[in-house]
Amino acid sequence: MNTKLKVSNISKTYPGCIANDKVSLEFGSGKIYALLGENGAGKSTLVKILSGVVKPDEGEVFLNDESIKLNSPLDAKKNNIGMVFQHFNLFETLSVFENLSIDSYKKDEDLRALVNEILKKYNFKIDLDIPVLNLSAGQKQKVEIIRCLIRNPKVLIMDEPTSVLTEQETDDLFISLKQFSKDGILIIYITHKLKEVLSLCDEVAVMRKGKVVSVSNTIDEKIESLANKMVGENLNTIKKKINNFKNSEEILKISNLNFKSDDPYETNLNNLNLSLKKGECLGIAGISGNGQNELFQILSGEIIAEGTSIMFRNKEIGRLNPRERREYLMAFSPEDRISQAAVPELKIYENVALNNFKSSNFFEKGLVNEKKIKEHSKKILSNFSVNTDNVELKSQFLSGGNLQKLIIGRELITSPELLVCFNPTWGLDVGAINYIHETLIQINEQGKSSILISTDNDELLKLSDRICVIYKGKLSKIMNADTVTAEKLGILMGGGSID
Amino acid sequence: MSFDLNFIGILIGAIMASSVPLILAASGELITERSGVLNLGVEGMMIIGAISGFALMVITDNLFLAVIGSMLSGLIISIIFGVLTQSLLTNHVATGLALTIFGIGMSAMIGKNFVGIPGKEFPLLFINLKENFPFLGPILFGHSIILYFAFLLPFLTNYFLKKTKIGLIIRAVGDSPTSASNQGINVTLVRYSCILYGGAMCGLAGAYLSLIYTPQWIENMTGGRGWIALALVVFATWSPIKVLIGALIFGGITILQLHMQAVGLRIPVQLLSALPYIMTIIVLVVISRDSRKIKLNTPTSLGQIFYKEK
Repeated sequence: MNTKLKVSNISKTYPGCIANDKVSLEFGSGKIYALLGENGAGKSTLVKILSGVVKPDEGEVFLNDESIKLNSPLDAKKNNIGMVFQHFNLFETLSVFENLSIDSYKKDEDLRALVNEILKKYNFKIDLDIPVLNLSAGQKQKVEIIRCLIRNPKVLIMDEPTSVLTEQETDDLFISLKQFSKDGILIIYITHKLKEVLSLCDEVAVMRKGKVVSVSNTIDEKIESLANKMVGENLNTIKKKINNFKNSEEILKISNLNFKSDDPYETNLNNLNLSLKKGECLGIAGISGNGQNELFQILSGEIIAEGTSIMFRNKEIGRLNPRERREYLMAFSPEDRISQAAVPELKIYENVALNNFKSSNFFEKGLVNEKKIKEHSKKILSNFSVNTDNVELKSQFLSGGNLQKLIIGRELITSPELLVCFNPTWGLDVGAINYIHETLIQINEQGKSSILISTDNDELLKLSDRICVIYKGKLSKIMNADTVTAEKLGILMGGGSID
Repeated sequence: MSFDLNFIGILIGAIMASSVPLILAASGELITERSGVLNLGVEGMMIIGAISGFALMVITDNLFLAVIGSMLSGLIISIIFGVLTQSLLTNHVATGLALTIFGIGMSAMIGKNFVGIPGKEFPLLFINLKENFPFLGPILFGHSIILYFAFLLPFLTNYFLKKTKIGLIIRAVGDSPTSASNQGINVTLVRYSCILYGGAMCGLAGAYLSLIYTPQWIENMTGGRGWIALALVVFATWSPIKVLIGALIFGGITILQLHMQAVGLRIPVQLLSALPYIMTIIVLVVISRDSRKIKLNTPTSLGQIFYKEK
């Protein structure tokens, strides 16, 4: 059952970017390998090549010393290479079983027996006959894994598998992966989360700008050493000092927030109450889809929740629209940078102008004051170190990190009293995350408040003064951040309760 | 009394006949759309089918060849749509509209020499049984083979989509072409096949009009039926059985309002003519209210261009 996988001198160039530059790596079964790197380091391209989705310009792949051609996903399957992508390759409207049977040549009864056997062996609990869109992210991932296991894989590649999972689900996944490894499956684990590398993997290869910069045993590595290899520079770790807000002025108070949606795929919110002090950061944790979207939209005024009182600086704003709320010095940074926060086809300064409100004077007598907007935009670009000074650039050409800096900058340059942000560092690389985190700490230090809705527990623990968890549209009690651990959050996020 | 019943039977038979082109075209388009392709060229493909069927009948004097030829011509013209949208990645909506305009113009040009030529009698099945049973006779017997096929088609389509492997693959492609491609499914091939099948069915629907329903060639004789078929697919939320129901309601009210006009009811003619459209939409919206089912049946990738990463 020994499997050896070798990639040799793989190169792949996209217009304007070398995704893989002469990448050579060797893997053997019995171990779990980490492939570590920032976004854009070339990890995903390499795994796409290994799974036959993308063809390399140069280089070869060897399985057990035999050169294999991977011209299509079918070739990867034939060679028993299984792959679980970061973005699930499932058919949402088909049932779990239909998803599994689509590329299987087995009879339905035989396949069902085999799947049940796998479910039993690895203690997975999934109803095979419900549509995939009713599954949680963790369950969807299990479906993907089962799909690979059906084919007796020699190699299993996992591309950033924990980005959508809770702590508990992550633990479960790691247990399964270790079991697979014991069963002789070679596992390649792609991630940019350093902790996971250390707790799960035996060997780690670090990629940066398309090249492999280091291969080592994880025993010899620490978080700091891996981070520095990954980024290529020394990162200083940030830590927030915890303040006491008992005597500070109350800036936001929400009472009896109820929201009932007509859309069955939205989450209803149930009697939410919270308050926020001046200079404080309130973190709201939770697995995505538990009501964060709805809560954010109610805070920003995209949805008006009937019968809810939102007091902001002693004024009732519950019925105001987003623009009116901005006049009261609230600012919002939505989750989806591309479709909610910015219009990718518009130029940078046009996107800045979208955020106008009365006091910004971007428009005079119905005409656009282009000069003023451009000056304003330039100020944002330089103050928030966006990696360009060209305000005429279309926003779609900014990387995720730079776009997020632009968006946060656009919100903060008006010095709002409250910033509500939703997954502000989702999908960003370490450098950009660090910058955003520093900025968020800074605004608290300046006496401004923030609400951080996030699915990233490390981020919440790092930035929040108080934390609560949203689960199925209900808030847990609000806890002081220094009394909270990732474990506690995980339990609450999964619907459990703590003392 | 038996006269009245027989009259209702004849009426129902007429309703069935008038809904045949809708059922055929909509069932074909349903398969196309289930694979994620939105072909708005139904009207164009139907009318091309109508003229080529009629022209072949006149030239070869063979109805079998005419029917097969109409399906082939629908298929051929849908190849244009396939090449444009699947290989050259043009926008589905614009290409489909262009196809309809092209089809109407092309059919008028070919049809010039066929105006005024009388059609040929199409063989009807079980014609002697029709007279023997009052009421049921005219409903069940004395129709063309194409009508029987049309009424079987929604059930076949339903079975095909739900129970067969190829049906599953088509639904998967319509749900997420990227995932399907990553699973090793040839998305372009699946979509091409569905487009061609849709074209053939629209061609057949056109042939039914020009060979059986009103056996002659009149310019623009499809009269918007292609658009109705398209609307049926959407309002029936991509369910073949509901397409059948919708087509029958539409055909039914069309025939009934004609009778009402003939009787001379004091209702404005415009309102009566609009009735089939309004009622069909109302009924289909009411029977398709379940938003969960809509979500499960709607091809998520409908109208999206798919291209494979190289």
